[in-house]
Amino acid sequence: MPASHSFRSLLPVLILLVLLALVPLLSPSNRFVSLAISAGINVIALYGLSVLFGQTGILSMGHAALVGIGAYTAAILARDFNIGFWLSIPLAGIMAAIVAALIGIPSLRVSGHHFVIMTFAFGQLLAIILTNGGDYTGAASGLDVQQPVALFGLSIDVLTHYYLTVVFFVALSAIASWAIINSRYGRTLRAIRENEKLAASLGINVGRHKIGAFIVSGVFAGVSGVLLAYFLRHISPSQFSSFPSIYLALMVMIGGARLLLGPLAGGILVAFLPELLNLDPVQSRILYGVCLIAVILLLPNGLIAGIIAGWHKMFDRRAAQPSEPAVEREGK
Amino acid sequence: MAALLDIKGLRKQFGGVTALAGVDLTVNEGEILGVVGPNGSGKTTLFNSVTGVHRPTAGTVSWRGRDITGIPANAVSRAGIAYTFQQAMAFPGLSVFENVQIATEHCSNTLTNRPWTTPASLLEFVGLSGLSGEKAGILPFGRLRLLGLALALATRPSLILLDEPAAGLNDRETTTLVHLVEQFPEHGISVCVIDHDMKLMQMLCRRLAVLDFGSKIADGPTADVLNDPKVLEVYLGGAL
Repeated sequence: MPASHSFRSLLPVLILLVLLALVPLLSPSNRFVSLAISAGINVIALYGLSVLFGQTGILSMGHAALVGIGAYTAAILARDFNIGFWLSIPLAGIMAAIVAALIGIPSLRVSGHHFVIMTFAFGQLLAIILTNGGDYTGAASGLDVQQPVALFGLSIDVLTHYYLTVVFFVALSAIASWAIINSRYGRTLRAIRENEKLAASLGINVGRHKIGAFIVSGVFAGVSGVLLAYFLRHISPSQFSSFPSIYLALMVMIGGARLLLGPLAGGILVAFLPELLNLDPVQSRILYGVCLIAVILLLPNGLIAGIIAGWHKMFDRRAAQPSEPAVEREGK
Repeated sequence: MAALLDIKGLRKQFGGVTALAGVDLTVNEGEILGVVGPNGSGKTTLFNSVTGVHRPTAGTVSWRGRDITGIPANAVSRAGIAYTFQQAMAFPGLSVFENVQIATEHCSNTLTNRPWTTPASLLEFVGLSGLSGEKAGILPFGRLRLLGLALALATRPSLILLDEPAAGLNDRETTTLVHLVEQFPEHGISVCVIDHDMKLMQMLCRRLAVLDFGSKIADGPTADVLNDPKVLEVYLGGAL
């Protein structure tokens, strides 16, 4: 994509995030803000998944485990080393990246469906390890996080302040994801997604870059985990097992992994849809399942890409026609 | 002429099937060598075993005197050997420009002097400049072949292996292709080409090697090989 186009993909996301940052002015309910924070925390992990799935074409079904690594790193750093929120962010990002490398190096030797199963297994394994970690991981009941969060002496523990912090990190993730997509590195990942054999024949080390993409997505997941730990103030293994992983994969598929608006749309929709429709947990699971099937069948590139394609179909039909004969002329 | 690529006793087994039964083949600097043979004679396997797609079962591949047997595909590319595939020649979901951009970005043979170093110059050389914004996936087959050629050239190779470059092309497209490939030696790129199209091979190659059931049965000047009774029998059926 030419450079002039690239900023245009970031702009709507930033505008939307600025608007979302203004939401507290409307004095929404605490329930609404809490849901929005949860959605935002997921969106951060989703931006990492979009690099992995959308750009590189690798699906992870154990991504919540990496979020869990971030959350537990933050909780343990706070408990044992008195390290607070801000320093936990980079440290947990690094920790999740290391774990992603440890999972990725053996798993990415296999491809496609086998990798999906491997990540799923690793996710389950982590939950088992955390549950059996004794006092160190707090076993099945998990860990508390008591460290206060402050910025320049101002407490961020107030719900709306924490909300703004999350919006800030969502913006950072979107910008990071955008920068990756529009870099030489992003193009390399897309080449691997499109045709691994050809990519290798052009001198690209496919295996190394796949592991790299998994590590990058791990950093996003780790940061997301810290925000989750400090939001919930209590974390436990079940939050990072298979169901949350499947939800993350579902969100990125529903929103669409290739476009920058996709993760944002997926995260918000999945968080708010049951609330809007007033569904209980069982009903909402059924709804998610139906949504996933519908998206896979009808909008394989996700909701946002589907809406854009629909828009073009309806309004650009006339504009599209002259370009076709132009291609023909080239051939003579 | 110095030997650029020297293949000795190359064998490839797939389970109980012997695809290559010990092939010797040399590609010399500055030549366009043709490799022909009936379907299943091992031509593509030969290329795949040299370029790191498959690991050869036995035998050696030397590149400028260095043993490169069984090295991975990306290392083969960095050594200066490019490969165009029979199928899937490009990245379908990316624009034509982005396709070539990726290939130039990963070229590490920066010391090799080639007239085309930028994506724009490569696209101009293969005649795809006007389509740089289009998605590669919507290109007609002939154009896709040319894009595949541009990708291979972008790695600044010293040798290009072309796997059936004219398959699916019409006469005009084949002529365009021949015209392009003929220029490679003068830019320091040797060529080894596989194809069924004997007209194409006669146009391009001064030397021809013939494979049959995984073994080389002839190797020499094109005219001699085409008149070799052994070759006529197994491959051409006297059609020429």
